[in-house]
Amino acid sequence: MTTVAIVGSGISGLSTAVSLAEKGIRSVVLSPFPSERSQSVMAAGGINAVDEHDPLDSIEAHIEDTLSGGRYLAGYDAVKGLCSAAPGIIAQLERAGTVFTRNAQGGIDRRAFGGQRYKRTCYSGTATGKQIVSALVMACRRYEALGLIERRQWSDFHSALIKDGHCYGILVFDESTRELYPLYADAVVMAAGGQNALFGKTTGSTVCDGYAAGRLFMQGADLKNLEFIQYHPTTLETPQKKMLVSEAARGEGGRLFYEKAGRRIYFMEERYGDKGNLMPRDVISREMAGISEQVYLDVSFLGKDIIEHRLPEVQELCRKYRGIDITEEPIPVTPSVHFFMGGLAVDLNHETNIRELFAVGECASIYHGANRLGGNSLLAALYSGHTAAEAIAGRSYTGTHPDLTAYVSSEQEKLSQSFASESRFPVMYIRDLLAEHMQKQLGIVREKETLLDGIRDIEFYLDSVDRIHYDSSVLAYFNYSLKGLLVLAKATLLCAEARRESRGAHNRSDYPEEDPQMNCATIISYEDGAYRIHYDREGRYEH
Amino acid sequence: MNIKIKRQRYPGAESYWQTFVYTGSPENTVAGVLDELNYKDDITDINGEAAPRISWECSCLQGVCGACAMVINGKPALACETFVKDCRGETMTIEPLHKFPVIADLVVDRSVIQKNLRESGSYIKQYMNPEPEEYEHQYSTARCLKCGLCLEICPNYADGSRFYGEVFANDCYAIASKSGKDEVMTEAYDKHFAAGCSKSLSCMDVCPMRIPTLASMAKLNRGLKGGSGK
Repeated sequence: MTTVAIVGSGISGLSTAVSLAEKGIRSVVLSPFPSERSQSVMAAGGINAVDEHDPLDSIEAHIEDTLSGGRYLAGYDAVKGLCSAAPGIIAQLERAGTVFTRNAQGGIDRRAFGGQRYKRTCYSGTATGKQIVSALVMACRRYEALGLIERRQWSDFHSALIKDGHCYGILVFDESTRELYPLYADAVVMAAGGQNALFGKTTGSTVCDGYAAGRLFMQGADLKNLEFIQYHPTTLETPQKKMLVSEAARGEGGRLFYEKAGRRIYFMEERYGDKGNLMPRDVISREMAGISEQVYLDVSFLGKDIIEHRLPEVQELCRKYRGIDITEEPIPVTPSVHFFMGGLAVDLNHETNIRELFAVGECASIYHGANRLGGNSLLAALYSGHTAAEAIAGRSYTGTHPDLTAYVSSEQEKLSQSFASESRFPVMYIRDLLAEHMQKQLGIVREKETLLDGIRDIEFYLDSVDRIHYDSSVLAYFNYSLKGLLVLAKATLLCAEARRESRGAHNRSDYPEEDPQMNCATIISYEDGAYRIHYDREGRYEH
Repeated sequence: MNIKIKRQRYPGAESYWQTFVYTGSPENTVAGVLDELNYKDDITDINGEAAPRISWECSCLQGVCGACAMVINGKPALACETFVKDCRGETMTIEPLHKFPVIADLVVDRSVIQKNLRESGSYIKQYMNPEPEEYEHQYSTARCLKCGLCLEICPNYADGSRFYGEVFANDCYAIASKSGKDEVMTEAYDKHFAAGCSKSLSCMDVCPMRIPTLASMAKLNRGLKGGSGK
């Protein structure tokens, strides 16, 4: 019987597992914590799907908005698949028990989101991602009862079992038993989320860190478009993190401004007209980077009724963490790292350049080009899971694997040796320093000198990473994941330095214009410590 | 402020108390305090003794994932939405949830919640379009974080071996309101919830999502499709 290992239990992992189970294929879903802790539950805003009864909107318009929002780096065929599947995905979610917010006619309501010409973002109150997770977890239980899904917690990804460009499973570290064990599988699906740990605290979950992408890169997987990192324009600073103020606030009519000489300057409207506040996130963040005054998002004029009914989570967030009453006063906002358009390079089947190694959700790079539209990430998480499952279901597997015991024993030995060394502080300290460097050198606007400084800084840590002692006062995972994160950080800086143009979320002060010759994805690969970049002009991955 | 933490290095190890000094902003949350204590290159307790980093679980840091459930000044709460300024006295005590096995310090193993839902067959067997008047409560119950705070405070919940608690009642409602008659769930609800709940309703006081569990119980007890009407 075919067995698939899925790394990650957020929406993309659950979507893969449920889609496989519907086809009678067994999977093991591995994650350190249950799905309720995944970053997916934080996706408040919504999920894009054209209303087939809308006389103005069309699948073609959704495709064009997605491509244009991503500054034409994504492939047409890939985006067409995504947008065409969206209405069916919404119907499927409803049948799984997701309760979407209704309009006066009893149909699914849709709201306006940035970079989109029509209202096509379906939502579920203030917690769309959470409602979807709850429905998918319940669907998982159905297949657990049939023996088609097994969910294992306290399970950390260590590395993939790869031989001759073919993946045969993964090495799993069990935090509860502190054992590293091989899990052989016919196919492996990575659903590990974005690369948040490179920047310390982002708007997202602290659990998504990017290690899996870094480690697989070191094992031969291509990475793509790493330089495209989305800064969400509206986050609220609190002592513990920058918290996302949902794009729904602008969708409902919220206005961005700053004050100068006692006057409010509505800079997005002045520059881009009436729909200025609904420009894509990259455009607004770039504008904000050039403003030295505090920027505010005002929704107070919408009135208490609309705020309490349509934006209650924004109201609650601002009240709870900053004591701001948004019905009376504007919200001070600042851009912050929110989403990674880059990640593991995958083809239209969501397979990487390593056979039987797939990637879905935010850890895969596809569909979003140089900038993602709000409402497309939940859609991509679900669609990518279906697509990978479909591809796996169409193959026949022998259930055999080559002898990989030498690799397994050698990694087990390395880990036991590191357990034997003892030092308390360096690992977490270096993780903090890494985040500080990345925040400074990979901001909204980049330039050659700071990027080169960043590369040198990371190389300094990489030189010593193998000699850093084991820190027994934190999880083993934090220890063994450090090198993968540092390698990923260096690859990201190299990609940002190599792309000498400004496009979408990648802005270079020394190359401020978009270069028509660079209308292609960045691919970076790794071999024996050497990083190689090339541009995918042939559409090897996404076309 | 002094922060007194109940510590345990690994499963089955002896627990002990250790006190730290926090001098940061009162606007910070308990999650922020733990972060601040941890993310220094050196951690020392109130006596200047070197201390291991404090293990605790977090993910969203904004009250929507339930990872950081713990007992703060005797009350079960999420660390990321409990503020220093709201804690009275000069010492704040922090303990792990008592009703789950400790993995390390403030990290506990709550997998019994998932196990009970899995083994009781808590899923929609045959989907039926729900009544529109159920949407609001369905939305509310689907917000459950599975954080375990309701189980911590519940006078009837012990270790999940027989009584499954509020978290189970709300999933029973979610299933019953979206599916046809489900004898398995009806029986499980009666056995693992209705028979054991003494209706103290303390669960509703600590629920971070403010789920009105009483409404789930009332709807099920009225015999809403899957309920038996007991």
